[in-house]
Amino acid sequence: MSSSNKKNPTAIEIKNLTVAYDKEKILDNLSFNIGAETITALIGPNGAGKTTLIRAILGLIPIQKGSIKFFNRDALQKCNHLKGHHIDCFHPGYVPQRYSFDKTFPITVREFLGLALLSGQDASKIDKTLKEVGMLKNKDRLLGQLSGGQVQRVLIAKALVAEPKILFLDEAAFGIDIAGEKTFYELIKHLNKKQGITCILVSHEIDVVFKYADQVICLNKKMICQGVPKKLLTPKTLTEIYGKEIGLYEHKYK
Amino acid sequence: MLEILQYPFMQRAIIGGLILGLMLAFMGVFVILRRMAFFGDGVAHASLAGIAIGILTSYNPLIVAIAFSIVLAILIFYLERKTTLSSDVIIGIFFTASMALGIVLMSLKSGYQPELISFLFGNILAIQVSELIIMSVFAIMVLSFLIYFYRQITFIALDREGAKVAGINTGILDLIFYIALAIAVVLGVKILGIVLVSALLIIPASIGKLLVSSFKALIITSIVLAEITILGGLLLSYTLDLPAGGMIVLFGAALFFIALFTNKYLRLK
Repeated sequence: MSSSNKKNPTAIEIKNLTVAYDKEKILDNLSFNIGAETITALIGPNGAGKTTLIRAILGLIPIQKGSIKFFNRDALQKCNHLKGHHIDCFHPGYVPQRYSFDKTFPITVREFLGLALLSGQDASKIDKTLKEVGMLKNKDRLLGQLSGGQVQRVLIAKALVAEPKILFLDEAAFGIDIAGEKTFYELIKHLNKKQGITCILVSHEIDVVFKYADQVICLNKKMICQGVPKKLLTPKTLTEIYGKEIGLYEHKYK
Repeated sequence: MLEILQYPFMQRAIIGGLILGLMLAFMGVFVILRRMAFFGDGVAHASLAGIAIGILTSYNPLIVAIAFSIVLAILIFYLERKTTLSSDVIIGIFFTASMALGIVLMSLKSGYQPELISFLFGNILAIQVSELIIMSVFAIMVLSFLIYFYRQITFIALDREGAKVAGINTGILDLIFYIALAIAVVLGVKILGIVLVSALLIIPASIGKLLVSSFKALIITSIVLAEITILGGLLLSYTLDLPAGGMIVLFGAALFFIALFTNKYLRLK
């Protein structure tokens, strides 16, 4: 049922993952695989634990139980180094839902991306990545002067500089206008096809999921379903996931 | 004007001042980015306890104060992470309690008043060669850390989670940053005193922030401004025969307001 077929190795393997705050279980015994070079959409109502799942996979919050593997290697093994980006570790890219920073602080887009550069990596990678997300002309502007949508693009570029094999996007289209949103998902598709990056994205827009995702994972603390969007996203399952109000664009204001 | 350079005490003051200006301004950029001004101020005040212990036990007060503030920095680091207490509360309690301890300990020594004043307000003109050496050694350590981990420290300050995901050990680097900041502040106490040291941490970077349009420029501008502030303040203090620490800070504050108004005026245009 999952896309981890023979052609594609498994990029992410989650087994019995449980995350709890105090005693309340946010994620309850999740297990699933994500095939390499696929686009997986994570859907579910507000509070379903989508962001928590991504943060747990990234090692940003502690887990109570379970294992997380990237390309068959333990993701939670100590891959922290003073200088970062150890050669033996998989470091995925991550674009958070919201990125708050001091807008008066003088740092250019180029300098901001430079932070994510691997040691020994050529600085020309910054311009290349900015070009890819359509932000090259803004490279010398200050980060604090960009619009919300432009900041999201810069964040995607920042996540891509170190050439990750896996990219997590937590409602990364947040703040990007509709026209921009389309090219945004085109960009994700392009990265996936051209560079073979495995993408996991949280989205509330069912049409986006239909159009771009190879696989859907529906979440509501437990995993409700996993499969190909066209087969899976029937009115019946959507009602099961979201309740009555389906097809509406839900936006979070957390 | 060059006559002030003839006095050995003035030469030592200038060398010490320039070393401190470089270190505190560089550190200051990260301090304002991470909003850690209170930490800096707190450690400066708390170092009085270390100084007092040094004086009472006849060990070098500067060294004891550095050791004391390193312990304090580590304690604050762990309490911030292991308890639900806010950072302000933790620093506030340690800062006042340590300073109080310092005052009580100092009072055990007869004739403590002048010495207390010298630590509160600094005495750059009384700086000794041995102290210059201690200062240089620690300043090299702090600067090496800032330069070697420049990218990682900036990454953490701007985007902690991003840094973590990129595999940077944010915990250890934060701890070293706290220790480096504590050392830098205590070294600054010698020149500007407990009360004024955070000025050199905050003012140059704050002026820089108003003037520049890149992070690299911010660091360079802040350092240059700190050196100008120290030299200008020393010169004013010599010419007007007023306290050096006070004049350095006043000169820096004047530069800040000039930059602020110029910046406002230019933007309105």
